[in-house]
Amino acid sequence: MEQNIIETDILIIGGGTAGCLAAVEVRERFPNLSVTIMEKAHIDRSGCLAGGMNAINAYLNPGETPESFVKYVRFDSCGLIREDLVLSMSELFEYCVKKVEKWGLPILCDEKGNYIPRGRWNIKINGESLKPIIAKAAKNAGTKVLNWVVASNYLVVDGRVVGAVGFSVRNGNMFVVKAKATIIATGGAAGVYKPNNAHDAQHKTWYCPYNTGAGYAMGIRAGAEMTSFEMRYIGLRVKDTIAPTGTIALGVGAPQINSKGEKFMATKYAHIGGDGAPTPYRSHGPLQEIKEGRGPVYLDTRHITSQQARDLKSAFLDMYPSMVLYWAANEIDPSKEPVEVQTTEPYIVGGHTQSGYWVDVNRKTTLEGLYAAGDVAGGAPYKFVSGCWAEGVIAAKQAGEYAQKNDFTEIPASLVHKEQDRAFAPLLSFTNKKDGIKAYDMEVRLQKIMEEYAGGAATYYEINEERLLVARRRLATLPDQFKHIIAEDLHELMKAHEVIDRVYVAQTLVEHMLYRKETRWPGYCTRTDYTERDDEKWLNFVNSRRDPDTGNIEMLTRPYVQIVPGDRYKPR
Amino acid sequence: MPVIIHADKCNGCHGSNNPPCIRMCPGDLLMKDSKTGKILMRDPAECWDCLPCVKVCPQEAIEFRLSYQLGFHTARLLPHIHDTRDFITWELIDTKGDIDKFTIRTKILPVELDEKVEGVAPVDFSI
Ligand SMILES: Cc1cc2nc3c(=O)[nH]c(=O)nc-3n(C[C@H](O)[C@H](O)[C@H](O)COP(=O)(O)OP(=O)(O)OC[C@H]3O[C@@H](n4cnc5c(N)ncnc54)[C@H](O)[C@@H]3O)c2cc1C
Ligand code: SF4
Ligand code: SF4
Repeated sequence: MEQNIIETDILIIGGGTAGCLAAVEVRERFPNLSVTIMEKAHIDRSGCLAGGMNAINAYLNPGETPESFVKYVRFDSCGLIREDLVLSMSELFEYCVKKVEKWGLPILCDEKGNYIPRGRWNIKINGESLKPIIAKAAKNAGTKVLNWVVASNYLVVDGRVVGAVGFSVRNGNMFVVKAKATIIATGGAAGVYKPNNAHDAQHKTWYCPYNTGAGYAMGIRAGAEMTSFEMRYIGLRVKDTIAPTGTIALGVGAPQINSKGEKFMATKYAHIGGDGAPTPYRSHGPLQEIKEGRGPVYLDTRHITSQQARDLKSAFLDMYPSMVLYWAANEIDPSKEPVEVQTTEPYIVGGHTQSGYWVDVNRKTTLEGLYAAGDVAGGAPYKFVSGCWAEGVIAAKQAGEYAQKNDFTEIPASLVHKEQDRAFAPLLSFTNKKDGIKAYDMEVRLQKIMEEYAGGAATYYEINEERLLVARRRLATLPDQFKHIIAEDLHELMKAHEVIDRVYVAQTLVEHMLYRKETRWPGYCTRTDYTERDDEKWLNFVNSRRDPDTGNIEMLTRPYVQIVPGDRYKPR
Repeated sequence: MPVIIHADKCNGCHGSNNPPCIRMCPGDLLMKDSKTGKILMRDPAECWDCLPCVKVCPQEAIEFRLSYQLGFHTARLLPHIHDTRDFITWELIDTKGDIDKFTIRTKILPVELDEKVEGVAPVDFSI
C-alpha cells in the first residue's frame, strides 16, 4: 500500500458547498498559503449540490436585515439558536451570492434586474450546474484537490489538529496530509435511521446519502465538543420521492390539508403561524393528523394554473429531476390533484437544524487548529446553501490567520500507523478471514436499533427514557463488532467507514436525546415523558464530549445568549 | 433500477480511465468494465437519482429510470444539453408515450474526457 505524504498550509476536508467557498477565500485573502481539499467523491459533483439547486434559501431580500433574519430563525427554531453565529453568517449572504453569480450561476431577475424572491428569505436560481461552477472556482484559485480520498481521522498532536488521514477509493493509496490549520466541511449525516424507501430505492433519500457523518465522527473520536444533536431534522417532503416541499409550498403557496380537506395547520396551529409555523411544527402537525386517522396529508396545489404546474416542474428539474418523472410515471397532475407528503427519516444536519461542532463566532471548534463550516457545524440553523458558503468564508479567514502564526508539527509515526491499521482493517479482515459482517449488514442493524428505540418513523419519531436506554445498550455493542467488518474492495472499504462513522453519530445522538428532558421541537424530538417546552430549565444548549481515552460521553449545557431583542417566539 | 447504461451507445470515452460519468457520481457508483471498456453500475440500490452522470455523458448513453416501486413503466426523462451549453432541454415521456419538453437556462462547464488520479497506481489493492 502506497503512502503519500502531503504538506499544505490549510487542509479542507469535504469539497462541497462550504469547502469550495472556503478554498477560494483562503487563496484570495492569503495568496501565500497553500490549500488542499480532501474529497471522498469528485468535487465537480459531490455532496448535497450534486443534483443542482433551484433556490438560495437564505438571503436578505429588500427590507430584511441580519437582525430580522435572526428573529425569524430564532422563531423557526423554537426560541433557541446561537444568535452570534446566525448574525455573522447572514452578514455575508450578499457577499457570497454576488461572488457565485460572478462565477456564472444564473440567478432569476425581474425586468429591473432585481432578484426574484420566493417567500421571505429565498431567491430563485437556475442552479442545475451550481456544483461544477463553485468547484471550478476552487480549482482556478489554485487549490490542490485530492478527489476520491475518504478522510478517516484527524491527526491530533498535543490536543492540536495538525492534519488528517484518508484513503483513496481509486487506488488504495493512503494520504497523510499535514496541515497548519484544518477546516472540516463534510456535511451532515443520512442513513443513521431506516430510510423512507427500501430495496433498490433505499437511497432515494432527501439528504445526500453519501454524507454519512464523517466530520461529526472524526470530531467525536478526537474529543471535540458537539452541540444539539437532539435537534434532528425530520423534514416534510413529497411522498415517495422525498423531494423538498419548499419548491411547492413557497413556490405556489400550497397549504397543508388532511384527507378530509381540512387546512389543519391554518386552524390548529394558527397561534404559531399556521402554515408558516416553525419548521418542526410543519412536520409535527401532519404527523398528528396521520396518527389520529386523518391521513394521507397533502399540499393543496389544486388552485394552480397549468402554467404554474409547468413552472413547478421546471423548478424541480433544476434540483430534483426525479420528482418530475415520478409525476409522469404515476399520471399525477399537480394542478388537478394535491401533492401527497410524508416526513423523512431523521437526519443530522447542522444547516437545517443545528447539530454539529460547538464553534465560536470564528467557526473555531474546541480543538486547536480545527475550524468547522456548513452542515457539520452546529448552533446556526437555517444555513442552507448561502449560510454554508458564509461559514466557509468565515472559517477560511480564521484558519488562514491561524496558519500564518503556527507552523507544521512533527507527526509521530505511531499515530499514522495506528490509523493505517484502523482504516484498512476491513480489507485485511476480508483477505484473512473471508467470513464477517458486510457494511450493509451493520448499516441495517444500526438503522433497526435507531428506528425502533430512538424515535424512528414507525413510532412517529417519539422517544422516551426507557426506549432510549435500550438504544444506548444495543449501540454500545456495535463498536466491538467493527473488527468483524469485511470489505472486498475499496468501494466497500468506504462503505465500512461510512457505517462506522454513523455508529459514533448515533451514540452521541442518543445521549443528547436522553439528556434534554423537555419537548422543545415537537416532531424533531418529541419526548412522551417530558411533553412540554421548559424554558426555565432547558433554555440552553445540550453539548457532549467523548473522552478519546475512555470512550465515555460527558454531557454538559451551555447558556443561550440573546443578542437581538424581542419576543423569541415571534417571527418579526 | 435507477440508472441504466446503454452499452450500445457508450464508447468508453475513447479509452478514458476516469470518464466524465465516473467522475460526476457523488456516490462513486459507476465503474469501468475492464474487459469491454464500457461502464457498469456498481449497485442500483446505492443510487441517489441525482443525474449528473446522465447529464454529462457526451453519448447520452446513460438513462435514468425510477425504481419500479416508485413509478410505472415506461415513463422516461431525457436531458439534452444544447451545444451552446447555456440551456438544457428535458424530454419527459409519460406512461402513455406523450412527450412534454422543458427548456431551462443553465451554465454547463466543459469537461475533459479523462483525468488523472492523485497518488501512485497500486500493485495490489489488498495489503
Ligand atoms: C436535495 C437537497 C436540496 C436542497 N435544496 C436547497 C435549495 O434549493 N436551496 C438551498 O439554499 N439549500 C438547499 N439544500 C441545502 C443545502 O444544499 C445544504 O445545506 C448545503 O449544500 C450543505 O453544504 P455542506 O458544504 O455542508 O455539505 P456538502 O455540500 O454536501 O459538502 C460535503 C462534502 O463533503 C464530502 N465528504 C463527506 N464525507 C467525506 C469524507 N469522509 N472525506 C472526504 N470528503 C467527504 C462530500 O462528498 C461533499 O462533497 C438542499 C439540500 C438537499 C440535500
Ligand atoms: S460518459 Fe458516457 S460514453 Fe463516456 S464512458 Fe461514461 S457512459 Fe460511456
Ligand atoms: S444518478 Fe447520481 S448517484 Fe446515481 S449513478 Fe448517476 S450520478 Fe451516481
